[in-house]
Amino acid sequence: MYFHAGLILAVIAVSFGIAKALKLSVELSMLVAAVAAAIVHSGGAIPVRHLVEGSFTYLDVCLIFITATFFMNLIKESGGVAFLVRSIVTAFHKSRALCLFFLTLLLLIPGALTGSGATTVLTVGTLVGTVLTYMGISEKRVAAIIFICAAMSAAAPPVNLWAMMAAAGSNMPYVGFFVPLLVLSLAGSLFAMFFLGGKGKKVELSEALKELPAPPEKMNWVRVGIPFVVLIFLIMAGRIWPHSIPTLGLPFMFVVASIFAIFLSPKKLEILKIATNTINTLIPLVGIMIVVGILIQIMALSGARGLISLAVVTLPMWVLFAALWLILPVSEGLLQYAVAPLLGVPLILLFNMKGMDAIIALSAMAVMWPMGDILPPTAVVGRATVMELKFKGRYYKDFLKTSLIPMGFILLIATLFLIFSNELSFLVGG
Amino acid sequence: MAILYTIISVCYYLIIAFITFVIARNLVKTKNFQEAILFSVMLMPFILRILRIK
Repeated sequence: MYFHAGLILAVIAVSFGIAKALKLSVELSMLVAAVAAAIVHSGGAIPVRHLVEGSFTYLDVCLIFITATFFMNLIKESGGVAFLVRSIVTAFHKSRALCLFFLTLLLLIPGALTGSGATTVLTVGTLVGTVLTYMGISEKRVAAIIFICAAMSAAAPPVNLWAMMAAAGSNMPYVGFFVPLLVLSLAGSLFAMFFLGGKGKKVELSEALKELPAPPEKMNWVRVGIPFVVLIFLIMAGRIWPHSIPTLGLPFMFVVASIFAIFLSPKKLEILKIATNTINTLIPLVGIMIVVGILIQIMALSGARGLISLAVVTLPMWVLFAALWLILPVSEGLLQYAVAPLLGVPLILLFNMKGMDAIIALSAMAVMWPMGDILPPTAVVGRATVMELKFKGRYYKDFLKTSLIPMGFILLIATLFLIFSNELSFLVGG
Repeated sequence: MAILYTIISVCYYLIIAFITFVIARNLVKTKNFQEAILFSVMLMPFILRILRIK
């Protein structure tokens, strides 16, 4: 049994390596690894049923971030994001601290709603980056701020894909994560913003406004605010009146909020074009989620997943506490969201078995994972950041090095949350 | 409440149908071979869900 599971793991690793060497994308390399493992496990046949079954594992999560990203893109295309950035700069340009604070909150919104840090970079990253540049912050610090806030936005509630996937894999409801994730992501993003951007000059208001795109004339707080109010109302309504409101699901809520965004937009939106762009932007994300589902299914079928779980749960706790801050980001850089079900599920079962607060522990891990989005080979959010900001410096010596201290701070507080999960269990709410 | 759930369920099928249409459109338009394969894999669960096979 151990030999067979070990063989399957070896087949996965080798076929993934060969596919990468043949310059296939991470998603296709994982698919090749899953199919190769399935063939070896079945003795030459392709277990189509399991491949199809696996592709459904994260379909609901895919629906959430497709609809959420579509909603954010509608807000952006209607001029809502430009309006928000200009309003913050105009209102708070005299107070650096308040300006930085509200820009941090603005950076957190897209990722919090979609669960994707890349969406934050693509929707608000460039505009906020422009303002930060006019606040006298150097190029490499601006890039580091945008990356860390984007990573923290992906970790922020209500949608944290790592926590959702690991919770789903361990038969644990995704409930009670809001406050712990909010505390961690807010603390991390504010630290990064003020540590890297705290010092500088006053905002050159006229210069900054000249550089920012102008929103349509009729855009105002009501037009940009109502879709968000509708979304928040729909999310809260199910909790306030659980027996009178049907379970709508987040994708449906985002679609309803999108309809409001379309009707309230001051300019006519090309819906099909925005939807096409949304899907194009999300190819790596949706693709990887579906492929990860297939890979996990094949690993579970062959016993390889159990072998990994066994290896993880037999590790001494002190080793985990001392090493997770490094293992989780590095594995994220290697496998993206696949690490949540692969490593997250056995870890959370282990922590639960040891009497730790599983929700706080998973929240802490779900904040450590996005830090790996700057690391190779995938570096999805890191690459998106340097591309969107047209960063001219060196990726490792400038961008990554500047990000290290805030990243270290976030990993430290997440590790402390992990160690003191029981003491922090008062944070677990609805 | 049962009628509401039916309406919500129909809405979900419509959402999935729209996403399927956009992915299929991208599949037809893309000239990148790797992207085309990925789009095809992405389409699988969406089409099966619309057809209510899975």
